[in-house]
Amino acid sequence: MRLITAILFLTLAREAYGESPALTFEKDVRPILKEHCTHCHGEEEKPGGGVDLRLRRFMDVALDGGVALIVPGKPAESELIDIIQRGEMPKKGKPMPADELEIISRWIAQGAKTARPEPATLGIGPLITEEDRQHWSFKPVQRPEVPTTVDAALVYTPVDAFLLAGMREKNLSFAPEADRRTLIRRVTLDLTGLLPEPAEVDAFAADQSPGAYEKLVDKLLASPAYGERWARHWLDVAGYADSNGYSEADSARPHAWRYRDYVIRSFNENKPWDTFIREQLAGDEIAGATHADYQQAVLDPKRLDQLTATAFLRMAPDGTGDPTDDQNLARNQVIAEQMKIVSSSLMGLTVACAQCHDHRYDPITQDDYFRLRAIFEPAYHWQAWRNPAQRLYSLYTPEERAKAAEIEKAAVAIDVEAREMSKKFLDEIFEVEILKLPEADREPYRAARATVEKDRKPEQKELIKKYPSALALYSLNLYDQKKQDIVAAKSAEATKLRATKPAQGFVMALTEVKGQVPETKLFNRGDHEQPAHPVPPGELTILTTPEIEPFTPEPVASGSSGRRLAYAKWLTNGQHPLFARVLVNRFWLHHMGRGLVNTPGDFGFQGELPSHPELLDWLADEFVKGGWKLKPLHKTILLSRAYRQSAKHPESIRADPDNTLYARFKLRRLDAESLRDSILAATGTLVRKSYGPPSAIGRDPAGRIVVGVDKGTITSAKVESGGENDFRRSIYIESRRSRPVTVLDTFDSPVMVPHCEMRNQTTVAPQALLMMNDTFILENAKRLAERVQKEMPTDRTAQLQQAWKILYGESASESEISRSLAYLDEQTAALTSYFSALPEKKDEPKPDPAQEAMASLCQILYSSNRFLYIE
Amino acid sequence: MKKSPLCSRRHFLQANSFGLGTLALASLLEKEGLLAAPVKPALFGEEQFDLSVKEPHFQPKAKAMISIFMMGGPSQMDLFDPKPMLTKYDGKSFPGEIKYDNLAQASSKVFGSPWKFSKHGQCGMELSELLPHLGKVADDITLIRSMSSGVSNHAQGLYAMNAGRITAGRPALGSWLTYGLGSETEELPAYMVLSHPGGLPTFQGEHFTNGWLPAAFQGTVIRPTEPRILNLDPPAALAGKPQARQLDLLKSFNEDHLELHPGELDLQARIASYELAANMQTAAKEALDISNEPDHIKKLYGVDNPVTKDYATRCIIARRLVERGVRYVQVLNSGQSWDQHSSLLSVLPNNCAATDQPTAALITDLKQRGLFDSTVVHWGGEMGRLPVLQNDAGREKWGRDHNTYGFSMWVAGGGFKQGYVHGETDEWSHKAVIDEVRHFDWHATLLKAFGLDHSKLTYKRNGLAASLTDNQGARIVNELLA
Repeated sequence: MRLITAILFLTLAREAYGESPALTFEKDVRPILKEHCTHCHGEEEKPGGGVDLRLRRFMDVALDGGVALIVPGKPAESELIDIIQRGEMPKKGKPMPADELEIISRWIAQGAKTARPEPATLGIGPLITEEDRQHWSFKPVQRPEVPTTVDAALVYTPVDAFLLAGMREKNLSFAPEADRRTLIRRVTLDLTGLLPEPAEVDAFAADQSPGAYEKLVDKLLASPAYGERWARHWLDVAGYADSNGYSEADSARPHAWRYRDYVIRSFNENKPWDTFIREQLAGDEIAGATHADYQQAVLDPKRLDQLTATAFLRMAPDGTGDPTDDQNLARNQVIAEQMKIVSSSLMGLTVACAQCHDHRYDPITQDDYFRLRAIFEPAYHWQAWRNPAQRLYSLYTPEERAKAAEIEKAAVAIDVEAREMSKKFLDEIFEVEILKLPEADREPYRAARATVEKDRKPEQKELIKKYPSALALYSLNLYDQKKQDIVAAKSAEATKLRATKPAQGFVMALTEVKGQVPETKLFNRGDHEQPAHPVPPGELTILTTPEIEPFTPEPVASGSSGRRLAYAKWLTNGQHPLFARVLVNRFWLHHMGRGLVNTPGDFGFQGELPSHPELLDWLADEFVKGGWKLKPLHKTILLSRAYRQSAKHPESIRADPDNTLYARFKLRRLDAESLRDSILAATGTLVRKSYGPPSAIGRDPAGRIVVGVDKGTITSAKVESGGENDFRRSIYIESRRSRPVTVLDTFDSPVMVPHCEMRNQTTVAPQALLMMNDTFILENAKRLAERVQKEMPTDRTAQLQQAWKILYGESASESEISRSLAYLDEQTAALTSYFSALPEKKDEPKPDPAQEAMASLCQILYSSNRFLYIE
Repeated sequence: MKKSPLCSRRHFLQANSFGLGTLALASLLEKEGLLAAPVKPALFGEEQFDLSVKEPHFQPKAKAMISIFMMGGPSQMDLFDPKPMLTKYDGKSFPGEIKYDNLAQASSKVFGSPWKFSKHGQCGMELSELLPHLGKVADDITLIRSMSSGVSNHAQGLYAMNAGRITAGRPALGSWLTYGLGSETEELPAYMVLSHPGGLPTFQGEHFTNGWLPAAFQGTVIRPTEPRILNLDPPAALAGKPQARQLDLLKSFNEDHLELHPGELDLQARIASYELAANMQTAAKEALDISNEPDHIKKLYGVDNPVTKDYATRCIIARRLVERGVRYVQVLNSGQSWDQHSSLLSVLPNNCAATDQPTAALITDLKQRGLFDSTVVHWGGEMGRLPVLQNDAGREKWGRDHNTYGFSMWVAGGGFKQGYVHGETDEWSHKAVIDEVRHFDWHATLLKAFGLDHSKLTYKRNGLAASLTDNQGARIVNELLA
């Protein structure tokens, strides 16, 4: 009874809101049936009970006993309705919600109409329908007109016009503009992940010229810190890590960092994204490199860069270089995880679901999945696998290589000499030892010794066992340490010599073996042990329409299959419906705190619809037309009124808590890296050295993973200072999947399994505990106190003001100063009595209570919401 | 440090209004007969979502819950659901229709359980020989043999069992409970997650996400090994009063800041997190330290045995947390270790050996402490397994595929029946056929045990009132409750 009332309510509500009540099979009914029914009734080879619900006309069947499946106009006489109402269907899956059943019922009541004539024939499997193709993200991007019916005074860039048009319905408009100090802090953190320096804030606050903000944005975009910040976003999506993951070994990936550097450089150079993506997908083919023939490519900086870029396709967790239970499974797992990264980062689709079976929600078949896999398979080839060590390409020049070979030759000669020396010594010892044996045993023993171990006869083995110490074939040190020392000194010469070889770097890359193109087969149920029919490389069926023409692979001159290059060109030719949208949506998300599509990794049917589809398309088109350059797109967003507005807007919070209309700036917490980097920068200790191998990490005695040199043993944890490496930006810290750095991990930096679509933003007590008690915070609070004391040596109020300016970009209020001074007095008094009660220690002066009190105040400022949040 | 309410005084009155507003509206709508429909809530004012104790809708038995969530799909016909037909047809072709998930590896060969079942307790509950310890507490538990969620994917199964619907991104059960009831402790997080040394289960954060509920209700993950919570020790010079002084000043700054940002829930949650953290410094260390547990207790759980040590330790910790007022504790496995598509014969006994004794001990221990009636203990996964073979490639490789049409889990304490078996699957343990309990039925029933009406425990979102059971037609299975 209540259910019916509810349905009625819904129906009324829907009609009251002016939705069209005319229902069609394609638009209204088929999606419901697809979710609940057609998996059994249509998509399997033999539709369950002979009922196929993929097309309307298939429903004109009589069931056992002559009951009609549907009677147009009469839902009450339609078995389809009845059987669902009785709860007998769907047999599998969740029950059909009442409102969905009601839609079907209403559709039948209206005559069970279709939108258009249905196709004459259908193959086996899921049907890709006109409605599927009409899904917004599968349709080509169309540049919309910029709305003109909005308040032009509020339109700083076209972005604003779209947003204002969207707000009208809720009677909202932008929040007032943020003040300049808030704005410079916001945009600096956004673009560089660092706080602005107090002097920069003051200068910007004072500069009232109209172009001041744009000048600031330009300056930030030109700073190297920009790349170090924005590369992080892409590295999340790519699943960057300095270790292999997969198994517990989680072995190191010591050369991955060159890819990280490539990404940072690309951002800083404003490399067009069509090039950027082509290099990452097919840099080897562009550079003309193959597995055996890469020497020329690594010698040319540009081609080396292209080759380095392909490490994007080496990011997936990969246990094939570590002991695994099932090597073939591990290999196929690498490919599957990499497909996941590729498809969600570039297409925003959960294609991976179709690895085992046709996608349950999106029109993606299992064949589609393997077509996509076939594009990449020549580079992976799981039956002729190259493990991680076999994908490293030496950066030696021919001269360096020759030099190294020469040195190696000399070193080997020394090794041989050392071995001979050792043998000679042992033989001499033997001649002495053998005299200790009974005469009769001596000659047989000599013969036994001269025989290699595996050829010794049982009686010879017995004999040796009888006089073990006479053998003198190895362990020279046990017989004569001095002689051993002579041999060791000789060997050391070889080691020393080898150390003079030119340093050898490696690039981790993805290449193909010339001419080797394995046949990709669909795996039943995704299981490599059950290969089925062969599948050629190709695009998802849903994306191949008469309007858009995908790609045809052609082998490239180097001997590589050209599949990836062809695919990359198609993705980046401006016609692909998903690629540009997915990218601009992420850029928008990072600036605005919420994607226009709030599921950045799922643009399919299960993903959320875009809140502003026209704006998304406009941005996508703008990006493509602008030559795929990100910096101008940044500016379009950053210079908008929307970006510059205040986070304070009660009407917006009330009417639109999720901020889907963007009528305020979305307040957000600093992400993990910005937090750590800003804390270091505020003390003046951040080391701004760019690029290179990552800073090491270790486990400290408290169980934290910290930056530094791990000197731990099995029984005790110990981390020693790594010098300036400990103070580098977080993007340069080693990222081991099994050892996430505590400061970063606690604030939601992702563990890459295999990658991260969108970060969490948690608010949990362990974060508070870290701010209160972690050595990282305590040490830096002390440093910050030292900095302000040094800069303002005499006056505590001035010191406080300085701390406020460094962290918040603003002066402290009178009340804040007076509360702080009162706090300092009390805390100094408390600490004075605490320290005076401590026993005197030699060579260790007692801490200065006033300074410690100031440090504890700086810690409060670091812990405050005003510091932790961007507003 | 002085105990203070978790929200600031000035917001306290507004704080309690959210429950009231929603409930008042709900009751009004109920009178109008519109409750099953999405509710358009009134516009709200200054909302404060905090962890203060909330009145449930009616008198509950259950106050806390320990969920031992075994991701992967524990095999019900080898553990909980004996089927003589499977034994009879073992190795023969399955005569009916199977809902395969994995058609490719599917075999139609019936796979009779290789393990013996016997009756336990006065109730005569039939359990597998793999669960000897559970057998000893059979008279205390309710075994549900007729669970179903209907989508044979791990992700969707997890979302269904843990967050009410098969879609991602929704708040976990623990978030709903803490949202609905608040916290009984100001010294520990209301919702705590005890993860396994091998890492989190698959789908990681989805197990304890607050989804779109406010940040105050998210699960706090405890490290699987010592130190289980980092940074519990204040620096020596600041311990005690000096740190309290720090936190007082921090709070006054943060409240000034919040004044400028009314309605920003994350800022409120952050303020509360410092107060909680301050209290945790002493409380959490004590709560997580089992070294002072008497030997007979450690032995009861199996701390002394390397096989059971990890689960034993975590189950004792779970009990200690509940004793100290934590609302919801999850004890998790790693990966999807119960997902035996193959090697069932070797892996399943190992899994059981690690968990059986500790979980049974938890029941015994809660009983002897008088906590059993107020604590729900749950053991189960996101799905079960099929009666036929998968991976028919030699006995050591045999496994079973996913099955969400009928599977088992058990629940005990907190007002659930004791020594009771609910529901039946068909004679093959394939589909629930008698007294089926769908995931939302289970959630509605569980919320009832906590005194919550599943249709009234709602959160306003995008203009609608969202709930754990979310208008899926959930039925409260009163037969499960004593």
